[in-house]
Amino acid sequence: MTRTEIRVGGLGGQGIILCGSIIGKAASIYAGKHAAMIQAFGPEARGSACSAQVIVADDAIGYPYVRRPDILVLMSQDACTQFAPQLKPDGLVLFEEELVHTNGKVPTTARTLGIPATRFAEELGRRLVLNIVMVGFFAGATGLLPFEAVEKAVLDSVPKGTESLNLRALGKGYEFGQSRLA
Amino acid sequence: MDTLELPSIMHLKNGAGATLSLATGADGASLLQFYRSMSEEDRLVLKDDVTTSDWLDWFLSKLATGEAISVVGRVNGAVRGEATLHRTFHGWSRHVGEIRLNVDRTLRGQGLGIELARHIVKIAVDAGIDKLVAHMVEGQTAARRTFEKLGFHKEAELPGHVADIHGHKRDLLIYANDVSHIWSAMESMLGDFRPDRAPR
Repeated sequence: MTRTEIRVGGLGGQGIILCGSIIGKAASIYAGKHAAMIQAFGPEARGSACSAQVIVADDAIGYPYVRRPDILVLMSQDACTQFAPQLKPDGLVLFEEELVHTNGKVPTTARTLGIPATRFAEELGRRLVLNIVMVGFFAGATGLLPFEAVEKAVLDSVPKGTESLNLRALGKGYEFGQSRLA
Repeated sequence: MDTLELPSIMHLKNGAGATLSLATGADGASLLQFYRSMSEEDRLVLKDDVTTSDWLDWFLSKLATGEAISVVGRVNGAVRGEATLHRTFHGWSRHVGEIRLNVDRTLRGQGLGIELARHIVKIAVDAGIDKLVAHMVEGQTAARRTFEKLGFHKEAELPGHVADIHGHKRDLLIYANDVSHIWSAMESMLGDFRPDRAPR
């Protein structure tokens, strides 16, 4: 049985929970896998620490909590400080490179890939799509889920009228993720 | 699913096909030809003198910097209509975009104008613009109707604000459309998103 534990961490207002939800939705609804998500955030809607635990598995998930993440998706320095020690030794860290510095925080055996997601989102026109760029980066760098499944999950999750830009943000992150693997 | 991807092909009411695409520097000569073919009456109240190569140089420089984004409509290969979003990246109006729309007189009422406008509105929303304005002159009823169909409303009227190319003073109508609500839904979703309370 393949079980992948993912922790998405950042600040409220960055779309952390939506990011985790899209990954879970893509896996469970559009890629024929099983998924579970637990969300946690501080008392403020914006600015407080926020994280999502997502499990993606081939079989039914009995225990929905992340114990030792295989993949970390990090969008704030606090999230890096808090979650990096939990990472599996051969785990993967995907981080927003203008907001997070992983030096000395991540096990040396782990793989780290950064992306200037905020800059990409701003270049696309809306900083708000930072989290969707990160979803695309996740899909491109991990290959865990088919792009089409993630695309459908994004379309299913974002408000009407914002689909086009969100899809471009997804594509931007995906291409960057794939290029970092090459 | 998005239906406003470019380039796209549309059918005008007269049965002819039109191709809509994003303007690039390579469209400069065709654009100038389009504007030079317009009658003086049609150019009476245009903001700039669009028949000069100076104007074209200015326009292409704006395209290059992204301060202008333009969609051109071609019929049989020739430019017959054009919609442009003008914006600035700095200052207190950086969230505002101005739309300018021009369609060949012989093709007005054929659906080209509103299709060009729809594309440019969508481009503007995607580009981060929160408010769109279109300037019109009294009497431009068809243009007003086109923008009203896209959610614009009259926000201001400035008497005698426009001097046409003969120097006659005319009233300027400023039509506006606040499109920020489209993205405010996403913003509020990111603040306290709960999958069980997702909008759909």
